[in-house]
Amino acid sequence: MSCSKRGHTSLAGLTRQAVARAVRLAIGIGGVMAATMALATPTDIDTDFADSQVLIELPETPPLAVRPGTSRGLADQVQTLLQQARSSGDPRYLGYAMTQLQDWPESAIDHRLMILRATLNQSLHQFDQARTDLLRVLEDTPSPANYRQATLTLANLELVQGRYPAANQACQQLKRQYHDLVAQNCLAQVQARTGQPAMAYQRLQVMLRSIPSQGPGIQAWTEGTLGEIAAQLGEEVALDHWHRALDLDPNDLYTRTLATDWLIQHQRFDEALELTAGYADVDSLAVLRAIALTRLQHSREAEALIDSLKQRFEEALWRGNLLHRRDYARFLLDVTFEYLPALEQARLNWQEQREPLDTRLLLRTARAAGDTPTVGDVFTWLDRNGQTDARFGRPADEG
Amino acid sequence: MQILRLLPLLILLISADRAYAHKASDGFLYLDLGANEPATLQVELALRDLALVIPLDQNRDRQVTGEELRLARPDILNYLQSHLTVLASTARCQLIARQWGLTRHSDGPYAATRFQLDCPGNALPSTLQYHALFDQDGLHRGLLQVNQDGDIRLTALTPEHRSLTLDAPTSPVWSTLVSFLYEGIIHLLIGLDHLLFLLVIMLPATLISARAPSSASDNRFLSGLRDLAAIVTAFTVAHSITLALAVFKVVTPPIAWVEIIIALSVALAALNIRWPVLGEKSWKLAFGFGLIHGFGFASVLAELTAGTTQTVAALAGFNIGVEIGQLLVLAVTFPLLYLMGQRRWYREAAVPAVLVAIIGTSLFWVAERTAAI
Repeated sequence: MSCSKRGHTSLAGLTRQAVARAVRLAIGIGGVMAATMALATPTDIDTDFADSQVLIELPETPPLAVRPGTSRGLADQVQTLLQQARSSGDPRYLGYAMTQLQDWPESAIDHRLMILRATLNQSLHQFDQARTDLLRVLEDTPSPANYRQATLTLANLELVQGRYPAANQACQQLKRQYHDLVAQNCLAQVQARTGQPAMAYQRLQVMLRSIPSQGPGIQAWTEGTLGEIAAQLGEEVALDHWHRALDLDPNDLYTRTLATDWLIQHQRFDEALELTAGYADVDSLAVLRAIALTRLQHSREAEALIDSLKQRFEEALWRGNLLHRRDYARFLLDVTFEYLPALEQARLNWQEQREPLDTRLLLRTARAAGDTPTVGDVFTWLDRNGQTDARFGRPADEG
Repeated sequence: MQILRLLPLLILLISADRAYAHKASDGFLYLDLGANEPATLQVELALRDLALVIPLDQNRDRQVTGEELRLARPDILNYLQSHLTVLASTARCQLIARQWGLTRHSDGPYAATRFQLDCPGNALPSTLQYHALFDQDGLHRGLLQVNQDGDIRLTALTPEHRSLTLDAPTSPVWSTLVSFLYEGIIHLLIGLDHLLFLLVIMLPATLISARAPSSASDNRFLSGLRDLAAIVTAFTVAHSITLALAVFKVVTPPIAWVEIIIALSVALAALNIRWPVLGEKSWKLAFGFGLIHGFGFASVLAELTAGTTQTVAALAGFNIGVEIGQLLVLAVTFPLLYLMGQRRWYREAAVPAVLVAIIGTSLFWVAERTAAI
């Protein structure tokens, strides 16, 4: 009796899943087709521009034509390019760095270049390739600096992907080598996501006060981490940490995104606009800005920004890589209200990245789309890691 | 100390993947292959990207003005010409710049050029190769939109896949096959020389009824049909062989001579009915001359396949079309002629008269075609 009942239920469940998958697929394809339709006509060519008109301000770009002759020269250049990519959020610099590294013979790639290549690959969401390079450096390098750097980068990679035991191992390794604020940051992040956020917050707070500063970069990073943990605990003080981090490093786009997201979640749209002013080029901040503009009914600016974002996502779909699924899913969920395509994107994003922002996005899209099994799956994973977050809501929360 | 030298940077870098902006470098290519208008290709590259390969900013003030862009125009055109190739089968199409100026995408201004494609023999472009900016930016993509009579296709050209074959996916094998099948039928039905040849080699089979004993009329019809089947099969097999050989350019005899021999074959086949100098076995005749006729079909097919890369599907379709055409002709004429074959006037007057007319016509063709050389 019970056996047959169970069989029946699972069969129905399977069918329902299959139907849901088919619907999702159809809608996904429909979405892509709709996106491509808008691109059907090339724009008209403007032949009538004045000689004196300034068409574009060129950004500072290192002389790419001059290829460095030594691996050290190359590493310096790649490092500069990656730094530019980070502070501007402009993926063209990643492309330049990629070309520089690809032109260098594989046999001449040293450990420092390997770490930089891993950093690049992580930025391109090629996590497995990044991990391979880092593990090789950890195995072979005689240099403590390279070892430490590879450990830190690996810890971050594992943390982003939600592989907490591996992240913890790397952080412990850092701490054994050099017990400083870097190691403490690393450990605090892992602890916070595995059930001990309050303790992690207190310890890091104490460390920040007691250890002499290792420079504004590390201080800003620590404030950012404190902000994240405070937000996870649902503490308003998160915003203070983030503001301090942004004062030290205004180009920390990720911290800016987290802070804006928090403001929007608390319906503080005016402050969200302030924080995103001048950052409409950055996809994640542009999406959040579009949400704030829509909620405040600033319809003209919202419309222009939404059009621009649509074009960007369409082009990313067309090119077939570098689609920022996290941002695209958020856009579909909160701007165009297309829940099923949003869920599909959020799900694909969560397969790669499991930071709280990604997890919350998947939960919200799944709830909006009425996909209770997915909500259940996410909470199962969270429970397994002991992760709690005030921003997630409870398993049974609707909407 | 060494630790501290490296660390501050990479702490910044570990969050590099967490926020993206702008868009990556894309070149936009809009290829328009209308049926009635000449093919055009609109190419748009970001000024920012072009500045990496062409000295756009002449006065190095990190600004590009309208004047600077106009001055750089020849360089831009050169760059495009040398980083873009459009082929019609293996021949290179000329890119003739018709219009140029600015367009905009979400990340800023683009230099746009609209080319008219001039391909040898007015053939349709079959391949597009794109090499721009891949050497500077490994994430650069050529976003290509192909518009074939309103049928729109999007692709991205990458450093690994820099070229796109244009015909294959837009004209599925099945539709090629069907359209060439149709051409095959039409060509057989309007090709008078093939029809006459078919008629001539069919005639002996219709005369069987006169020679066979009159008691077994069923068997006579069947035996006529069997003869006919052998003839048609032999003709088909033979012309299929030479058609394929010619299409794949294994053997390419001069078409003018082929046409003359085809005309001659009709006359010879007709003569052979009265004076069987070439032997009594019609199917051998059909096979021998079928070889020649295959080359004739090939010349038609070659003209038709100029715009397709699916030669095999075209060949198969055309061949099947020719067979269907043959069977249609036979299905109508054979029963008719067979019935008439029982009459004396048919055997003794009609057939000789028709043969004389056919011989006359075909010899006239021979003369005409020889004169044309």
